[in-house]
Amino acid sequence: MNIIEIRDLKKIYNDSEVAVHALNGINLAFRQGEFTAIVGPSGSGKTTLLNLLGGLDMPTEGSIRIDGINVGELSSRKLINFRLNNIGFVFQSYNLIPVLTAFENVEFIMSLQGYSKEKRKRRAIELLEAVGLGDRINSRPSRLSGGQQQRVAVARALASRPKFILADEPTANLDSVSTENLLDIMEKLNLEEKITFIFSTHDQRVVNKAHRVVKLEDGKVISDVTTQSP
Amino acid sequence: MIWIIAWKNIWRNKVRSLVVILAITFGLLGGVFSSAVMKGMAEQRMKEAVSRETAHIQIHNPKYIEDNEINYTIDLESQRLAETLDTLPQVKAWSPRIRFLAMGNSANASTGIMVYGVLPEKEMAVSELWTMICDSCGTYLNGEKSNQIVIGEALAKKLNLKLRSKMVLTFQDAMGNLSGAAFRVCGIYHTNNSVFDEMNVYVSKVDIAHLLAMDPDQSQEIAIMLNEGDELDLVQKELAASFPDLLVRNWKQIDPVTGMLADFLDIYLYMFMAIILLALGFGIINTMLMVILERTRELGMLTAIGMNKRRVFLMIMLESVYLSLTGAVAGMILGYLVTLYTAWTGIDLSSLAEGFKKLGYPTMLYPYLDMKFFITLTVMVIGIGILASIFPARKALKLNPAEAVRTD
Repeated sequence: MNIIEIRDLKKIYNDSEVAVHALNGINLAFRQGEFTAIVGPSGSGKTTLLNLLGGLDMPTEGSIRIDGINVGELSSRKLINFRLNNIGFVFQSYNLIPVLTAFENVEFIMSLQGYSKEKRKRRAIELLEAVGLGDRINSRPSRLSGGQQQRVAVARALASRPKFILADEPTANLDSVSTENLLDIMEKLNLEEKITFIFSTHDQRVVNKAHRVVKLEDGKVISDVTTQSP
Repeated sequence: MIWIIAWKNIWRNKVRSLVVILAITFGLLGGVFSSAVMKGMAEQRMKEAVSRETAHIQIHNPKYIEDNEINYTIDLESQRLAETLDTLPQVKAWSPRIRFLAMGNSANASTGIMVYGVLPEKEMAVSELWTMICDSCGTYLNGEKSNQIVIGEALAKKLNLKLRSKMVLTFQDAMGNLSGAAFRVCGIYHTNNSVFDEMNVYVSKVDIAHLLAMDPDQSQEIAIMLNEGDELDLVQKELAASFPDLLVRNWKQIDPVTGMLADFLDIYLYMFMAIILLALGFGIINTMLMVILERTRELGMLTAIGMNKRRVFLMIMLESVYLSLTGAVAGMILGYLVTLYTAWTGIDLSSLAEGFKKLGYPTMLYPYLDMKFFITLTVMVIGIGILASIFPARKALKLNPAEAVRTD
């Protein structure tokens, strides 16, 4: 079953004197439980596609339907709420809140959703254990390695029980051991919990782990290869 | 949880936050202490004006106030005024006075003065002036001898009079004839108001009524002291309604300069504090703008993951309010302690004594502030904290999350 359907998606940036056509008519669909890498050279439109999928930017033309809802038609207030309850984000530079512990960073998003303190506590500990940080729950980001911080970010992304997780070059700042470790955790979550992951990446190690690889060039899909169905 | 995050956020850059907090602390300390000094000065002046000079309320024949003609009197008996004043529960004491202008003469000089003919016992219950006579400066009117007079120290100096000196008063009596009599100085009082001391003398009402050819039951002035100053308006209205032919004035109307001080001082102090807070507010705005700039990526991330605008605004606003309140509480506590200490020791301004005394102000100041001032100040600080957060918070709300999360 498709959870995301992209139709004739175009994005044109008119900020500079020359209009930049970042996406030129993308048609894609993502199914529940997919583990997809979006690859392509710089400027191919990976980040733009992820921004549109995450509701952080609006398409110039075309539509993105998530669970049947056309994201482009939501008001900005509804869109923020939609992101909170449906999409998990993992950023290239972790973007944890530095004044909060690992536990509090994970718990925070659930507090935005209005969960009780007890439920938040239970789930935050469960998730941090799942990403192998059960013994670092009270550490602040500054006391964690890059790989550990990115695992906290994954736990945070999962905390809100999203329909899918968007990860924008999640391994770009990690060494090979941390990358391997992170990918193993995400693959495990994908296989065991049927969590849908969509990455944008340059990293061949991520591509090798992916079950589906979508290649973009000049804002168009030039290949879409599925090696393993969910 | 946003409340806790906001509190933790202000301690990210400890030095910067401490600089802002210290600026607010010292700004408030200065503001609170200056206000306490001004308020203390004004309160002392008001208390002294009421307790020694004007009393809470004075009643006159309205025509007397117009031209100071001694025949415009109040008849206590026929107008049932004495009976009313004795039965009003708010009235602590009242004193009937004969009041007229005279020329005071000594062997060396003469000057125009205001003579009060008083019944000593009643007057002592209304005015604390008798306590302003030092041990070596004689006594208040005691009725032991006739033609005693109590004068102020400034007048004694001017006319070169000493205790037991003879002073001659010349005046116009009720019949319009020029009259006069010699009085013996039995006491010399000293208040903080040298102009008052130079102008006002006190004699026995019985003695002076006889000399003025007046009925001793007649008076030009009734001075009334109340149990509580805040019952002033009520009693004034009641008396004015009961005695429409008489002029009933409160101390603010009698001494408008001091009255204005009482009415406008609080407004002035709040304006003074508002200006200090406004200046500090710009410091907070500057700090919060720096905060927004430094945390662009994080704020973008928060919006991206689903923190709505209301919560982002609340977080920024709370940080601003926490900064303001932390500094303000420290400043107010320090200001309060300095006020408390100086209220105990007093501030000696005797080097400025002459100028102060001419204005009726004491040279020993006791700073004073009431709880209402601190409560209002706290509300003002929170208000400034909120106002100072609006501009930076609006900037935070305008961030594009897609761009902000990629900011270096």
